[in-house]
Amino acid sequence: MKRYDLIIVGAGPSGLSAAIEAAKRGLDVIVFDENEKPGGQLFKQIHKFFGSKEHRAKTRGFVIGKQLLDEAAAAGVLVVLNATVIGLYQDKEVVVKIKDNIRHYKADAVVIATGAAENMVTFKGWTLPGVIGAGAAQTLMNLHGVLPGKKVLMLGSGNVGLVVSFQLLQCGCEVVALVDAAPRVGGYGVHAAKVARTGVPFYLSHTIVEAEGDEWVTGVTIAQIDDKFNFIPGTEKHFDVDTICLAVGLSPMSQLLKMAGAKMEDNPKRGGQVPICDEYGRTSIPGVFVAGDVSGIEEASSAMIEGRMAGVVAAEYLGYIDMESMETELEVMEKALDGLRQGMFAPKNRGKAIEKTDEGIDISMNLLKKGYVSDDEIERYPGVTHKKGVHPVIECTQNIPCNPCQDACPKKCISIGNNITSLPIVVKDSECINCGMCVASCSGQAIFLVDEDCGDGTATVTLPYEFLPLPGEGEKGIALGRDGSEVCKAEVVSVKSAKAFDKTNLLTMRVPKEYAMKARFFKVLK
Amino acid sequence: MNSVNDRSRDIGPFVPAPDDDMLICRCEEITKGEIRQAVHDGMWTITEIRRYLRAGMGLCQGQTCSRLVKGIVARELGVSPAEIEPATSRVPMRPIEMRVFANEAKEDGHYEE
Amino acid sequence: MKSNAEVIVIGGGIIGNSAAYYLVKRGLSVIVLEGSDFIGNGGSSRNGGGVRQSGRDVRELPLVMYGIKNIWPKLSEELETDCEYHQDGNLRLGKNEKHKEILTKLATNAQSCGLDVRMIDAKEVKNINPYLSDEVTCASWCPTDGHANPLTTTLGYYKMARRLGVRFISGEHVKELRMVKGRVRKVICESGDIFEGENILVAAGFDSRAILGTVGVDIPMTRSLLECLVTEAEPHMFDQMLGTAEADFYGHQTKHGSFVFGGSSGFEGCNKDNGTPISSSKTAPCICRGIMKYFPDLADAKIVRTWAGWSDKCADGVAVVGAVDEVPGLYTSCAMSGHGFGIGPAAGHQLAQLIATGKTDVDLGTLRYDRFKAKI
Repeated sequence: MKRYDLIIVGAGPSGLSAAIEAAKRGLDVIVFDENEKPGGQLFKQIHKFFGSKEHRAKTRGFVIGKQLLDEAAAAGVLVVLNATVIGLYQDKEVVVKIKDNIRHYKADAVVIATGAAENMVTFKGWTLPGVIGAGAAQTLMNLHGVLPGKKVLMLGSGNVGLVVSFQLLQCGCEVVALVDAAPRVGGYGVHAAKVARTGVPFYLSHTIVEAEGDEWVTGVTIAQIDDKFNFIPGTEKHFDVDTICLAVGLSPMSQLLKMAGAKMEDNPKRGGQVPICDEYGRTSIPGVFVAGDVSGIEEASSAMIEGRMAGVVAAEYLGYIDMESMETELEVMEKALDGLRQGMFAPKNRGKAIEKTDEGIDISMNLLKKGYVSDDEIERYPGVTHKKGVHPVIECTQNIPCNPCQDACPKKCISIGNNITSLPIVVKDSECINCGMCVASCSGQAIFLVDEDCGDGTATVTLPYEFLPLPGEGEKGIALGRDGSEVCKAEVVSVKSAKAFDKTNLLTMRVPKEYAMKARFFKVLK
Repeated sequence: MNSVNDRSRDIGPFVPAPDDDMLICRCEEITKGEIRQAVHDGMWTITEIRRYLRAGMGLCQGQTCSRLVKGIVARELGVSPAEIEPATSRVPMRPIEMRVFANEAKEDGHYEE
Repeated sequence: MKSNAEVIVIGGGIIGNSAAYYLVKRGLSVIVLEGSDFIGNGGSSRNGGGVRQSGRDVRELPLVMYGIKNIWPKLSEELETDCEYHQDGNLRLGKNEKHKEILTKLATNAQSCGLDVRMIDAKEVKNINPYLSDEVTCASWCPTDGHANPLTTTLGYYKMARRLGVRFISGEHVKELRMVKGRVRKVICESGDIFEGENILVAAGFDSRAILGTVGVDIPMTRSLLECLVTEAEPHMFDQMLGTAEADFYGHQTKHGSFVFGGSSGFEGCNKDNGTPISSSKTAPCICRGIMKYFPDLADAKIVRTWAGWSDKCADGVAVVGAVDEVPGLYTSCAMSGHGFGIGPAAGHQLAQLIATGKTDVDLGTLRYDRFKAKI
């Protein structure tokens, strides 16, 4: 039987990362993935990632996917696609379906990096065509170029629900509502805010009563729920939709490990049934490692680091590196991983209701309940300052692990400091040159360049704009507030696109000066 | 893994609910009411529910419904879902045609396209 | 909770559950101890579902014929569970002269016990099952054989027995039996729980050997890991139970449409597991090849699941059922040798009768625990 040093199941961010690190250290590595395209979820991720440089922050997911594939190829990793691992048998025998036959392979070490699958919730009509997972919607849109629907209701306010809602909007869908049974928005506030400012209403403490339609979804009714998850009569709201997206969490796809006899546990904090493993992915079966969502739901950035760790640990297990160099390398990776696991959304804070930022500032309740920071709340954050002339307004109000903005400004106007989760501040007496790099670099699209008083009764607001077609100079439209409501008329001053902006266009609009701190989105008149 | 489980423990009577006709396992078309009734017939584990009703034994092998079934069984028994054992996993991970499963590649070399 | 009963049944499989059901119906108090976490977790839920007489050793025939005549036809109704019992005959297929010889011998033996089983030619086989390939040249045909759903049947007995007041405890692994004043009485479990019964029935598959050993009774058996697989639901094709002279596969199409087939790779006796009965990488492909030789039309049917189960194999390939006379109060039904499902309800029924009345309708003498003699 053909034997490899290392067989990796899954060519997503963690699997590829493991493959790269192992192959670089001399292991003979093969990666199997059942999909026709590699990269796992990365190629669906058209948004810019959070984190710092070492986490490839402000790079779009699909670009990271390409980078990983290039690195894997350079390291000599063989990635086999359309290859479904149907079983992980005893003695680390991996059986793979490739084309019209099955092949048996042996490995001295195995990394399982199979990721996760979407959860479903039930409600009347949940089996109607048109009720789909948010991830499935993302696959349709971003991999296959197919619009999932025209009018969509999103259930779930975690990062998946928020990011996919925004992408649906980018595709030209109408997102009629973003609904979550929880009383608070689950994902990053900046993700919520960029959806809310386009006019999508948030309904927290609400869930779906019924999907309507005889043969497919034609409408949906939601209602408010009490703290025991019972519907509150009289709070029903109806929407005409053709699609209902469910973004209600992920479950690890850990079946291969279970069938191989790895010790498993049911751990709600990790998203379901996961193998019992140490922090580097060693399972109870010697030589079988895990990385990424299969061992606990997180996100792609941490999955990549976990993958790298698994690759290094596998290299040591097979004697390609010694214990000492493994430990040195793991230490660096652990630090990087630790950096990502900080802040309000850190795994350790899951389920906790955090009221104040690390800086002691009250968290915006509107952000948690409606998806946007209200005009009066925004003033209390250190990124929001006022001065004459163009200056950055950083509407970053939660401690999340992300810092590209502080490096983006050539004039060092923005500072986060050593603690990656600190709120960015506008450096006192710094001089903004209106270059727009901060606006384009912010993965959360939370930075605006504002000239609060142009001297003629108007103000200009430069905002990140990722919608097509781009409005033209002089085009008239409506400025929307943070809450998505129409605040005033607006006129496009300029739309800048530069390579350095990486497809985040900088739209500058002119509004009456009293709206300088209220207008945050430009709505094209239809 | 064994834990002593006295199947005579009183879990109360089966009370019909308005959403009993809701499909839970889409592959095998098993409803919530059938699952709840099965619990009252003594099927207190996911394994027994699967064997008794086929819920989770269809094409997706429970990828979609396992979590839902678990929640229903736990609620009926008045325990936390974490106390209900997860479903077993079996080869093949994905449905596979008999002719493909039967067709074991003979070559013994490196993987080649 | 009381831990005494008139009968303690060890093993929550088809035999334990059916015995419990028939015992409680006779008014006896029963406790069933299942060693694993799941009711019906051994061979009872890991077999091909055959309910057949043909192909069996003549010593088992009276008991299985009793069950097919008296129990199986009304079982679904009785258990308020769809046991999916089909009595549409069993075809045991052959492809050559050697097969024909094996099948003819089995048929002749069974005929001597009054079973309607006969050899048929390729043409008649095709009449009964037009989907079979031309490779099939002969078969034995037993029209009163059939198949059922082992999962719902086993759990159906459990459901009804439980409903009638039998106490079932899963996860209760029996460590040893103890004698009290010349009768077997105590059942000591790994959990520390102790149960006492006036009668004890051991029906715990291969584990029976170790349990019976604690009171000095040994039944010569080995175990082997057998495998089955199931397809997605397919349009209805046929209702017979199938087997082959070579035993390279067996199975049937279920009411639901799926095909359940078992088979062997030849390594069953030495398969290993990883703590759970895991399937081997060799077997399922082999079963698939076996099936396709007989049913080319099934080549595109998708396999959704494979599973394995330990079979308790008696030294002479025949079940042990009845009282262990030398240990008063002790009964057993074990070493079912891979064909315990079809005979299970009858075994449970007759054991219940034996325990309750001291008599049986079927003479169990040929299935005694102490029948094993050295060959010279």
